[in-house]
Amino acid sequence: MIPQRSNRLIKKLFAPYLAYRLRKAFKALKHDEVEVLPCHSVLLLCNHFSWWDGFFAGHLAHNYLKRDFFIMMQEDHLQKRMFFNRVGGFSINRKSKEVVEALQYAAKLLDDPNNLVAVFPQGALESNHIDEINIERGIDYIVKKIKGDCQIIYYSAFIEYFESLKPSVYFRFLNCGTNKDFDFERLKAMINEHHKIALKEQVNAEH
Amino acid sequence: MIKVGNNFFIRQILHSYVTWIVKRHFHELKFDPVGVDSNKSILLIANHFSFWDSLILFIVCRKLMKKKFHVMAREETTVKFQYVKYGGAFSINRQSRDMLESLDYAANLLNDPQNLVLIFPQGKLYSNFVNTIQFEKGITRVIEKAEGKFQLIFAATFVQYLKHKKPTATVYLQAEPYAGKNFEELKNVYQMHYDNAKLQQSEIVI
Repeated sequence: MIPQRSNRLIKKLFAPYLAYRLRKAFKALKHDEVEVLPCHSVLLLCNHFSWWDGFFAGHLAHNYLKRDFFIMMQEDHLQKRMFFNRVGGFSINRKSKEVVEALQYAAKLLDDPNNLVAVFPQGALESNHIDEINIERGIDYIVKKIKGDCQIIYYSAFIEYFESLKPSVYFRFLNCGTNKDFDFERLKAMINEHHKIALKEQVNAEH
Repeated sequence: MIKVGNNFFIRQILHSYVTWIVKRHFHELKFDPVGVDSNKSILLIANHFSFWDSLILFIVCRKLMKKKFHVMAREETTVKFQYVKYGGAFSINRQSRDMLESLDYAANLLNDPQNLVLIFPQGKLYSNFVNTIQFEKGITRVIEKAEGKFQLIFAATFVQYLKHKKPTATVYLQAEPYAGKNFEELKNVYQMHYDNAKLQQSEIVI
């Protein structure tokens, strides 16, 4: 497992560059509102369907959720782009025994209420059109290991074009409660239900 | 109603421009091979979720079907972008009597085996995530008028990013043997093709 090696300066410099890249590639990033609890760290669960997902999560963490951003990445992906290690990326290798270590590391980051850890619960890149979000058991392990207060937030993101040549991204948030009243099966059901409703609402999205 | 403009040079310039922007915006453009009957014109029916649809199908038409591309577009679009008529766009205004004229014009274009007419039966932009494709009634008039002179092809387009920085556009094509289908049957057959395409899209795991 590769731990993160970020520092404030690099993150501060990277944020405007990230905003610039997103602005160049997308017309708009539209999100709905979610209640963010004060003095809670945030475990951000995202659907994983594109190369850009980590950037979306970073952008939302910085601009909307206002937390210090960390992200769990696949080990081979992180090794290819070690720069992400400098802006909060740490690795997980699902095939090795170290997997527990990475999960514990994520839980430890979440002890600090200023932090946000983004995790792709699907564990793989899946299509944007699926209606079933698969959630790996690792999430259960992370949440149970957190000692401090942590809020769990999920979002479904969808890419749409409509009239523009550039795509827009629609984020639909779901507040999944805190680590104090956590139940894995309930989380799974909640997220899947939310995703189905989000897909339905997406059809009537404003444009 | 605005009819198709015939200017060889502007058409060539538009073709180069569209090829360039599609190449620049997309990582890859995938489409199924489909058998094309050279003695018949083509009526292409597609889902409409973005401005890119007609540009993507314009390229597919050039590469695969090798026919002269025509597309039925909303009047606002053809008025706003005057040059699209040279690329093969003709207008339809659903609110006016002109509508019948546009539909007859489309049917007329189908008489020439060199032509391809693209129609979006949804009539306006919908999300790429819709489950059912709306059909407007007008399409039956085109089909009845040009009966037997064209080959019917269904297209379902999806755009996804997956592991690349740029999106990949996938066009699922299917030649549908046309035999006097009525409106409901046509709608159902297209819906089946669309469902099948969507299923294939959603099964992608990397």
